[in-house]
Amino acid sequence: MTDEQGTSGAVLVVGGGISGLTAALETAEVGNDVFLVEKGPSFGGRVAQLNQYFPKLCPPSCGLEINFRRVKDNRKIRTYTMTTVKAVKGGPGNYEVTLETEPRYVNSNCTACGDCTAACPDETANDFNFGMNNSKAIYLPHEMAFPQRYVIKKSALSPAGADAIKAACKYDAIDLDMQPEMFTINVASIIWATGWVPYEPTKMENLKFGQSKSIVTNMMIERMAAPSGPTGGKIVRPGDNKAIDSIAFVQCAGSRDENHLEYCSHICCMATFKQMSYVREQYPNAKIYVFYIDLRTPGKYEKFREVRMADANASFIKGKVADIILEADGGVTVVAENALTAEKITQKVDMAVLATGMQPSLGLQDAPAELNLDASGFIISDFDKAMISAGCAKKAADVVTCTQSSTAAALKAIQVSRR
Amino acid sequence: MNVQPDLDFIRSLKEAGGDTLKKCYQCATCSVICPLSKDGKPFPRKEMIWAQWGMRDKLVTDPDVFLCHHCGDCTTHCPRGAKPGDVLSSIRAYAYTFYGWPKPLAKLASSAKGLPILIGLPVVVIFIMWLLSGAMRFPTSEEFSQYGYQRFFGTWDFYWYAKNIFFIVLIMVPSLGLALFSSFKGISTMWKTMSEDAGLNKEYRPSVGQFLKDYLWPSLIEIVKHSRFRECTTNTDRVQGHLPLMLAFIGLAIVTTWSLLKNDVLGLIWPSLHGPMAITDPFKILANISAIALLFGVGVLWANRKKAEAEMNTQATFYDWFLIWEITAVGVTGVAAQLLRWAEMPVTGYIVYFLHLVSVMMLFLYLPYTKFAHLMYRTSAYAFEKYRQSVYATNS
Repeated sequence: MTDEQGTSGAVLVVGGGISGLTAALETAEVGNDVFLVEKGPSFGGRVAQLNQYFPKLCPPSCGLEINFRRVKDNRKIRTYTMTTVKAVKGGPGNYEVTLETEPRYVNSNCTACGDCTAACPDETANDFNFGMNNSKAIYLPHEMAFPQRYVIKKSALSPAGADAIKAACKYDAIDLDMQPEMFTINVASIIWATGWVPYEPTKMENLKFGQSKSIVTNMMIERMAAPSGPTGGKIVRPGDNKAIDSIAFVQCAGSRDENHLEYCSHICCMATFKQMSYVREQYPNAKIYVFYIDLRTPGKYEKFREVRMADANASFIKGKVADIILEADGGVTVVAENALTAEKITQKVDMAVLATGMQPSLGLQDAPAELNLDASGFIISDFDKAMISAGCAKKAADVVTCTQSSTAAALKAIQVSRR
Repeated sequence: MNVQPDLDFIRSLKEAGGDTLKKCYQCATCSVICPLSKDGKPFPRKEMIWAQWGMRDKLVTDPDVFLCHHCGDCTTHCPRGAKPGDVLSSIRAYAYTFYGWPKPLAKLASSAKGLPILIGLPVVVIFIMWLLSGAMRFPTSEEFSQYGYQRFFGTWDFYWYAKNIFFIVLIMVPSLGLALFSSFKGISTMWKTMSEDAGLNKEYRPSVGQFLKDYLWPSLIEIVKHSRFRECTTNTDRVQGHLPLMLAFIGLAIVTTWSLLKNDVLGLIWPSLHGPMAITDPFKILANISAIALLFGVGVLWANRKKAEAEMNTQATFYDWFLIWEITAVGVTGVAAQLLRWAEMPVTGYIVYFLHLVSVMMLFLYLPYTKFAHLMYRTSAYAFEKYRQSVYATNS
C-alpha cells in the first residue's frame, strides 16, 4: 500500500464512473498505485442511473458490482468520494495534485442501517432521479452505492432534523461539523474520466421542456423504468401518472446542432431503441413514434434496430421535431416534416421523450489543470504530458467503447509512469 | 431516378449567396420553423435537397421559392448553418435570370462583372439622346431658375407636346416596356409549368375579371399590409424598411402616372398643363413625401443588410446590394436635383439630373432580372397560390 504522498509510479484517475473504475482497475492490476477520485458521494457514475444497458439489456448492477468488488479487493487503489481536483503542479512523472474532499457529514461508523432516513423530517429534490421525487436530507445515494454510506445535504437539513437524525443514529456516525479537507498527492500520470452530463433540455426553447410534465428526457425514462426509481419501474406521465397510450421519441434533441452540441452523441438512437422495449414491455399496444434525422446503430447494433423497427405499433418518421405544442389534456403535439413524403406531421402523444445528448463535464466547467480541450469540451489526450482522457470525457460513446478507451488509457498511463 | 445536376445552376447559387446549401443534412427543422410555410407540403427543406441535386427546373417553377420572404427564422434555427433562407434567395436570383428576356441582358444583370455595362448602357443612351436633342449645354442661371430641368433635352415651338417630355418618354417607355414584356413572358412560362406541376384542372381558365378579383386583388391587399412579412421573427425589422419603401414606390408611381397623363394626354388638349408642378401641388407634395419615405426605407434595409452580414454571417451578394444601391441612387439624385434647383446651381444640377435619369432608367430596364423582379414574381406566386386553392382549379 502506498503512503499518502504517493509514489512515482502512481496514477490519478479523475472520475469514478464506468470509465474511471475500469481505468483504475486495469492500472492497479498491472501493479501501479492508483488514486481514484469521484466528485459525487458514490461510484458508478451515469451507468448507475440506467435501468438497463444495451444491447444485452442487463441491469447496471451486473457490470458495476463486479468492478466495486475488484476495487474493494485491490489494495493498490485508494478511493475518494466527494473529492475534486483543485490544482495540478509539476510535470509528467512527477505531478503534485491538490485534492479537496467535501464534507459528507457522515463518518465511517455508518452501517447504512437507514434509521436516520426514517427519522429525518426534511426532504429535498432527488437529483439522482432528476428531481422526479424527493429524498430525505440524509440519504443513501442509491441502492447499490459504493461506498454504502449515507450522505447529508446540509442545506436541506433543519435544526430539528439535525437533532432527529443524530438521535436516531446508534453508531455516532453523524458529524455535522465536518469541514472540507485539502491534501496533495504525487502521481506520474493522470487519467481524466470526468464523464458527461445530459444536455440541458431547456436550452432547446422550441422543445418546451419544463413547460409540460409530459415532456421528459431519455435519462428520466431510465430512472422511471428502473425498479429503484421514482415510480418503482412504471413508465407513466409525471404529474398525473397517466398510463402511456402514445409516446414520441424526439431524436437529436440538441445533438448534431451547431446551436447546441455540434456532434452526434452516439448513444441516443440505441437508447431510444432500448427504451422502446421498456415501453413495449409495459404497454403492449401503445403507439410509439420515433422522429429522427438518421438512425445510427452501427455494426452489431443493426440487429437491435431491426427487431424494434419490426414493431407494428411503432412508426419511424424521418424529420426532426422542431416544435412541440402543449395540449389542454396534459399531452403534447409534436411537429415535424416527414422528409420522405414532404408532408408536415403533427402527432398528438401522451408523452414526448427528448433524446438529449451527452455534454462532456468539462464543457460546462473550467478544467482544473492545463488540458487540451476541443471546442465542445472533450479532452484531447496529451501523452507527452501524461494527461490522458478516457470514456465520455474523450468522446461521446457507449459503455463498451468507454471501457475499451479506459483500458487503452490505463496502458498509456502505465507507460509514462515507467519512463 | 437518374439525376443530372445542372452545374451552372449550382455555381450561380453559390455566387448569389447560396454556398451554404451543401451543409444541409435534411433534418427538416426549417420546414417546421418557417412561419410562412403552410401545412401539407412545407418548405424549404425540399427546396434544399432539390438545390443540392441541381434540379433547376423543379425549383424555378416552385411557387414556394417565391413565397419565401427570407425571414431568416430557418437560418437561425438551422443546426448546420446551411442557411435555407439565403439559399432560397439565391434560387430566386437564378430564376429571374432564367426567365429573363433578352437572355444576354438578363445574364449581364446577374453579376457584378456586368456592372460597367449596366451603368454604361443608360449613360450612353441618355447622353446620345442629349446630343440628339440638340440641347447639349448647361443653362444660364435665369433659365435654370425659370425652367429647372424642363429644358434638359431642349425645347421647341410645338407647344402641344414639350420636347423634354418627348425625349424622356422616348427613353423610359421602351425601357419599362421591355421590362414588362420580359416579366410577362417569364411569368406566363412559370405559371403554366406551375399549373401542370400542381395537376390543376386544365379546363378551367379564369376570366381576366375573375383573375383580378379573386386572385390578384387579395394578393395585393396582403402584400400592401405586409401580413406575411410580419409573421417573421428573426428579421421582422425589415418591415420597417420595406413598408415605407413600398409605399414610396406606390406614391411615385402615382405621381409619374399623373405626370405622364398630364403632359402626354391632357397637355395635348390644354397646353397650359405643361411645365413644372408647384411645390404646393398635391402631386408634388406626394412626390416629396414619397422621396423621403424611399430614402428612409432603403436606409433601414441597408442597415439591416449590414447587420445580417455582421451578425448572421450572411454573404454580401451583388444580387442584394445592386437593388439597394440602385434605389438609393434614384432617391439621392432625385432629391439632390431638386435641392440644387432651389440652390440655383445649374451645372451641378444638370449633372445630378443626368445621373437621376440614368438611375431611373436602370431601375426600369433591369427590373425583371434583378432583385426588383420579386415585385412581379412574388406577387404572381401569391396569386397562383390562391388560384391553386380555388375550387375551380381543383375540381376536375
